[in-house]
Amino acid sequence: MTPIQQQVKNWLEEKRVDIFLAYRILDGHPLPHAFTREHIEETAELVTGPARYSLEKFATHIASRYPAARIGMVARDCNQRALNVLRVWNQLKDGQVETVPVTCCPSHLHHHADCSYLEPHPAGAVKQQLGQAPNQSLAEVEAQPAAERLDRWLYEFQKCIKCYGCRNICPVCFCKECSLEHAELIGTGHLPPDIPIFHLVRAVHMAGRCVDCGLCEDACPAEIPLRLLYRKVNAIVKDLFDYETGSGDTLPPFSILGDKPTMSPMPLLAAAQE
Amino acid sequence: MTLKRMTFLQHLLAFLGLEGRLHLEWISSAEAQKFVATVTGFTETIRRLGPSPLRTASLARSENVLTAPMRRSGCPGLSQTVVPEDGTKIVNG
Amino acid sequence: MDLKFVPSICSYCGTGCGVLFEVLDGELVGTLPMKTHPVNQGKLCIKGWNLHEHINSPLRLKHPLLKTFGRFTKVDWGKAVDVTAHRLKEVIAAHGPDSVGVLVSAKMTNEENYLAQKFARAVIGTNNVDHCARL
Repeated sequence: MTPIQQQVKNWLEEKRVDIFLAYRILDGHPLPHAFTREHIEETAELVTGPARYSLEKFATHIASRYPAARIGMVARDCNQRALNVLRVWNQLKDGQVETVPVTCCPSHLHHHADCSYLEPHPAGAVKQQLGQAPNQSLAEVEAQPAAERLDRWLYEFQKCIKCYGCRNICPVCFCKECSLEHAELIGTGHLPPDIPIFHLVRAVHMAGRCVDCGLCEDACPAEIPLRLLYRKVNAIVKDLFDYETGSGDTLPPFSILGDKPTMSPMPLLAAAQE
Repeated sequence: MTLKRMTFLQHLLAFLGLEGRLHLEWISSAEAQKFVATVTGFTETIRRLGPSPLRTASLARSENVLTAPMRRSGCPGLSQTVVPEDGTKIVNG
Repeated sequence: MDLKFVPSICSYCGTGCGVLFEVLDGELVGTLPMKTHPVNQGKLCIKGWNLHEHINSPLRLKHPLLKTFGRFTKVDWGKAVDVTAHRLKEVIAAHGPDSVGVLVSAKMTNEENYLAQKFARAVIGTNNVDHCARL
């Protein structure tokens, strides 16, 4: 037994948690699995990767049906950020979820990793010419001339097949009624959906919520670089309000009024004013 | 709250390449001068920016969205309609 | 509290995307794409994403219904089979087997679909059999 398997077994036996969410290899596929006291022998099969599913979303499903349940789960950095956001938004109670930290996605600082599914692929020839490559930095996107940038984004958006995969897979999307399904807000019955409204509505709703886990981009059949767009959303929230999404216990800036205004409206576009 | 959301949206639109087309201003009913100045100024801004690129592109099913980026990058095999200054129409294969 | 994850294959079309059902207390509550499946690689279309919805839908038929005088009435299975067989025989006798068509569904099992085409070809004697997943 590995140390993590032993730890999970102990947690279940000590009744520290009622259910533990991790992964198990089934038919060669790493799939999420709920480990329980009744089937404690299964903990010997527990693995922590390499695939990444939003375990925290399953935790909210359990918590909504069993508010007293104590839930354990393996958590990478992105899981942990999502859990923070869900707690802030009252989808999980304080201390309801106990986590076992595990290794994370690869990054410039982090070479060993269990999860390599969420790193953006380099763009192919057509995408490089017409679209937005998903592995660009924000500065590279902003360096494009405005008209070209819009062209490239519209090219990406018009590929949308409106599968709602980005919303469905999102660990921090939990609303019962979704603006994206409102016939008065988004036109229905045609493809692609109203662009860029469909994607902008989702981007605006991601402000103060997106934890940059990359699941939306991974789930997108049209390969729209959503993570790049939401990374900008996070950057704006950070620049304007100094709010780091998923880091703390405070509500996002769009949910609190504040004591006094700290900013003033933007002036008219300077370049056009002269 | 409105101020926060609008400022956020202005930055997001700028990132997509639609800078300066959204403006927020508080004007009381007693501030006729300010109202006139704001509306005139914003109208002028919009006029300088020209018609919205989304006007031609927002109907996603129209050909524009598909072909605009290809035209920009000189993608071969696309017919282009070029209107020179004297008004005659030339169609490039 | 019983949470299970059941891997399966999407039944909506012939592509064969891997899906993962989220089953909470014996009730199907969600569908997810299987990240490691070689066919869909963690992606799904809108039909696949909503695979679980028809299972617990209140709109599902639970009994055979017979339309008499323009109204549907609940009947038992014996009666339903009798009436259907009788009417099909009448139609085939009058207009031939190609006047009958069989439409099958992506929401049934593979085996039921096989039986339906067998019924169309071997029993009725027509090739008029079609499926909504004929992509």
